[in-house]
Amino acid sequence: MRAVHWLHTLGGLGRRLAAYAAGELAPADRDRVASVVRVCPACRRTVEAYRRTSAALRGLPRVALTADEAAAFLPEVNRRIDQGRAVTPRPVRAGLREVMWDHPRLSLASAFTAILLLIGLTLSQVQMWGLSGTPGRNGVDIISVDVDEDVSVLVFQPPGTSLKVIWVFEDSST
Amino acid sequence: MPGPEGRADDRTLVEQAARGDREAFGALVQRHQDRIFNLAYQVVRNREDALDVAQEAFVKAFASLSRFKGEASFTTWMHRIVVNLAIDCLRRRRRGEPAAYDDRLAIPEDAGQNLAAPDDPETALETQQVRTLLSRGIETLPPAHRAVLVLREIEGLSYEEIARAVGCNLGTVMSRLFYARRKLQKVLQPNLDDLR
Repeated sequence: MRAVHWLHTLGGLGRRLAAYAAGELAPADRDRVASVVRVCPACRRTVEAYRRTSAALRGLPRVALTADEAAAFLPEVNRRIDQGRAVTPRPVRAGLREVMWDHPRLSLASAFTAILLLIGLTLSQVQMWGLSGTPGRNGVDIISVDVDEDVSVLVFQPPGTSLKVIWVFEDSST
Repeated sequence: MPGPEGRADDRTLVEQAARGDREAFGALVQRHQDRIFNLAYQVVRNREDALDVAQEAFVKAFASLSRFKGEASFTTWMHRIVVNLAIDCLRRRRRGEPAAYDDRLAIPEDAGQNLAAPDDPETALETQQVRTLLSRGIETLPPAHRAVLVLREIEGLSYEEIARAVGCNLGTVMSRLFYARRKLQKVLQPNLDDLR
């Protein structure tokens, strides 16, 4: 299946099938995808599913203003204009979720960096406390440090609170 | 310049309105209010919010008429304003609970054209179920993805027009469209056979 292999090596099988179903591919691409769809039952089912979803979307009822709403529409617009209620133009910024959807690799890299930072910070703190004894820097009170082969437990009290925090470090290989 | 039916075209009305002619602006509003309301509704999926967004869009358009250069049609320009306001509205609303979709509030203009015949109760019920699923699926999409999907699938805009309307590049339009379509397809998967 050379054609199927071509689609998979491009890594855009899903995107191309969706675009093919919507008739959005350039003629050359369309012909190549069509030749794949002819011999690939799974691809054919996917294309059909996309087409039915699109048809269902286009079949959603349009909504219209009621007679009362239509009659009151322009007077309300005029009232807002006269009141100077025009909204201050605000730049529409993409939400975090959309940025993550649009840039999945960036999101993964960010998450990985955050995890590395957290691990580094934790290790450096433990080492610092181990060297300086209690109380630790910045007013952190180290209540106990139990180091064992399998499990180590650190109990400390952040400054300005009565909260006691317990960190348990487990050896996951045991 | 009057159009073929004796009505002034949009460009003429925009020019007059930009000079402060409120009657010309009123004519523009009345000509486009239904379409703008429908577009707002398809994105925000709530009648009250859609009405507010549509009216605010015209208020904003009036304030910006002097900046309308006429490179695009008035409709395309309005698309941009409405979609941005609708996205903004959704983001504000998402800080609280999303409004429930109430299909009873939707008034079909073209019922029967694309959908099941109303005299077939079983098919009508299935169609209603699919619509409800679809609406819920749309509501789960992030605002910008929802807007791109509506502009493409319901309004029939080209990629370029969508990119201009939502202020992003073509690649982002394609990416958002793909994710939105895939998500909806998954939502509808168990009911796809009913759409034959």
